[in-house]
Amino acid sequence: MRKSTALGLALALVLLAAAGLKLRLDAIPRRTMPGSSVIFLPSGKFLRATTFGYSGFLADLLFVWTIQYYGNPQIPDKFQRFENIFSAIAELDPRWVDPYEVAALIAIYDARDVRLALRMFDLGAAKNPGMWIFPYQAGHYAQLYLKDYALAKAYYEKAMALPGAPPIAKRLFANAAYQTMDLRTAWETWSEIYETAEDPQIRKIASNHLYRVKAAADISLLRQALDRYRERYGRWPSDLERLAASGILSPIPKDMDGKDYAYDPASGGVKTAVIPWKR
Amino acid sequence: MADVLELRDVRKAFRQGFIPRRRDVLRGISFSVAEGEIFGYLGPNGAGKTTTIKCVLGLIFPDGGTIRLFGHPPLAVKARAGLGFLPENPYFYDYLSGFEFLDFYAQLFGLPKAERRERIARLLRRVGLEKAAGLPLRKYSRGMLQRVGLAQALVNDPSFLVLDEPLGGLDPLGRKEIRDVILGLKDAGKTILFTSHILQDIEMICDRVAILVGGRIHSQGRLADLVSEKILFTEMTVSGVEPEKITALGQSLSVQGNRILLKVYDEAGVEAVLSLVREKKGRLHALIPRLQTLEDIFVDAVKKP
Amino acid sequence: MTVKVIALNTFKEAVRDRILYLLLFFAALAIVLSRVLAVLTVGDRTKVVKDVGLASISFFGALMAILIGTGLVYKEIEKRTIFTLLAKPIRRHEFLLGKYFGLVLTLAVMTAAMSLIFLLLVFAHTLTVEVRLLVPVFFIFLELCLLTAVAILFSSFSTPILSSLFALSFYLIGHFSWSLETLLKRTRPGAGRAALRVVYTLLPDLENFNVKTEAVHGLPIPASLFLYAPAYGLVYTAFVLLLAVLVFRRRDFV
Repeated sequence: MRKSTALGLALALVLLAAAGLKLRLDAIPRRTMPGSSVIFLPSGKFLRATTFGYSGFLADLLFVWTIQYYGNPQIPDKFQRFENIFSAIAELDPRWVDPYEVAALIAIYDARDVRLALRMFDLGAAKNPGMWIFPYQAGHYAQLYLKDYALAKAYYEKAMALPGAPPIAKRLFANAAYQTMDLRTAWETWSEIYETAEDPQIRKIASNHLYRVKAAADISLLRQALDRYRERYGRWPSDLERLAASGILSPIPKDMDGKDYAYDPASGGVKTAVIPWKR
Repeated sequence: MADVLELRDVRKAFRQGFIPRRRDVLRGISFSVAEGEIFGYLGPNGAGKTTTIKCVLGLIFPDGGTIRLFGHPPLAVKARAGLGFLPENPYFYDYLSGFEFLDFYAQLFGLPKAERRERIARLLRRVGLEKAAGLPLRKYSRGMLQRVGLAQALVNDPSFLVLDEPLGGLDPLGRKEIRDVILGLKDAGKTILFTSHILQDIEMICDRVAILVGGRIHSQGRLADLVSEKILFTEMTVSGVEPEKITALGQSLSVQGNRILLKVYDEAGVEAVLSLVREKKGRLHALIPRLQTLEDIFVDAVKKP
Repeated sequence: MTVKVIALNTFKEAVRDRILYLLLFFAALAIVLSRVLAVLTVGDRTKVVKDVGLASISFFGALMAILIGTGLVYKEIEKRTIFTLLAKPIRRHEFLLGKYFGLVLTLAVMTAAMSLIFLLLVFAHTLTVEVRLLVPVFFIFLELCLLTAVAILFSSFSTPILSSLFALSFYLIGHFSWSLETLLKRTRPGAGRAALRVVYTLLPDLENFNVKTEAVHGLPIPASLFLYAPAYGLVYTAFVLLLAVLVFRRRDFV
């Protein structure tokens, strides 16, 4: 029995020695090749074929690894393989939403590449044609970071057509249409929203937007008429009645509330008499 | 004569199953084997013979009691240096040839190469396997394995041999050959402990026996002492006497024509039958006194709890 | 002395086992197949050959250590060959160490064979004998020595299938224990973190034997690694073997 005790003691000592060496080893700096670990990531289609049915699990592993990888600020060339990596995950588990969104976030905030983020959403949408979240988010990004309302409008249009899309998608679409001066579409969409909305708050918002759309159309009409007037008479009309009397534009359009637009004879500028949101 | 092996009150229990259940295999075994004798360790299957032997060899740790092998505890390397062991149903490294196998074991004793070669050749001749020396063990028959097993037990020229069921699974000729080898070893001055559940083997070659039943030694001693000269009964076959008269003297077992087979229990009865035969001018065909055999003791022991 | 005799017999046993050649065949196949992968890739082809070659040596070496190692002691008990062996004047730890060194010898020969195929293939690509590539092979061998000890440890009290699973888990844990470090950084200081640190320090870290990347990319390998990694491997192996001896020496062979 004494021998057993001695052996046990030796066991503990050896383990301690191993732990000591391990700590010593941890202190040795190891050189790594930046990004070297992903140079040969095979395509997702190939990976999927070799996972023997564990593709979901592999996607989890790859995603977890990816988050660690992109969380490391010391890899300068990590965005070179960005699409390769995330499309591999998408191929392994196409219906998993998080990786697309995380990829877009990394693309926006870390890589500062909006187009890359949009491609991630496009990928998600392509893999999941029935999910509104991808075009919806892409619309946001296009609107927010690119100020490209035409692109945003196209995305929102896709999103609002999909089942389960929130009603705000339609409003964002209408707004984008207004921003791109597609006033007809904007008017029709806001009217539809106004008529179908049950929430008075939303009806009010829709009404304000309709006011603004009509104002934009009217002001554009007035602008053209005023320009013609100035061409003919060499000066701006003193007031809008004079414009009507000249026969160029009659009758003079009024805003949605029946009020006149505000006209500045000095500069020839036209705007709404009230701020649309404060009607 | 000094004791080669001594067991005193050896106990062993096994715990088996998911919910451990205690099963006592050895319940206090004491016996000793003296130098130069053949000791028979007898018992029915499952009595604990192999467990005892494993305790002796240090393969199993007994729960209690002491074992002395050449005066050392079984785990001491010194104790096993002069020991040879043949297990029950031996099975060896089937990827080795007979020669390689014996050579491997001989190397464990640190024998130089020339001596190993010479010794193995002698052993193979002794157990009649010279021709099979180059054959891999997986091609050996049951009897050949038993022989090569005996050869490996003898590889260190041990003074004490432990043989577990050495005659098991052999044909009559094989049994006789192995028996002769064992007797030859005794003549060479070796001490032998061997187990068997077959009585004739033990009766034929053992000096002393111990009978193990249910984990206890039922009886032990010299074979002649155990099966004393006590006559159990006498079988007599007679003819030419009236059956009625004679059956009164003993138990009639069978009647064939005028021959009567009679079982008589005491000497007075035998005398009475003899005088009756003489008186009637009848004939005595056979008179066989039945002594107590090991089998009787064995059957007695197993039947009595 | 007896250790050497048993080791040589174990080597003989392994070498006469068909499974060894099957594994060697697949290892050779994998190394040679790296040539095919190299054709498919764009850019530095020899890198792929080196990567796949070293990975094959490591993977199939581990497979050999586990599959053969877990059967070694168990088979002796199962087939009752251990009865006659332990009845000879050898101590139990000598038996265990003999088995261990026998398998280590086998693995040394097999690793050498795989390295030879590997170096030949690299030579076919670069027309130079890259002796430098033997450095990661040496570290892989250290890892295999440790893995063999683990296989023998489990084999001394468990069935081959269970032992293989245990040894495989050890291998995986050994290669993922670094992730505990990441976890450590995110854990709030306290008792939990201290406990985690102890676990992290005691768990085997097989990544210390992984210099494949450095070797393939020609990065400098720190000199201290050559001292401390083998020391770590030896000490950890000694620990596992000691544990195996402790388990084995009080065991009943029924």
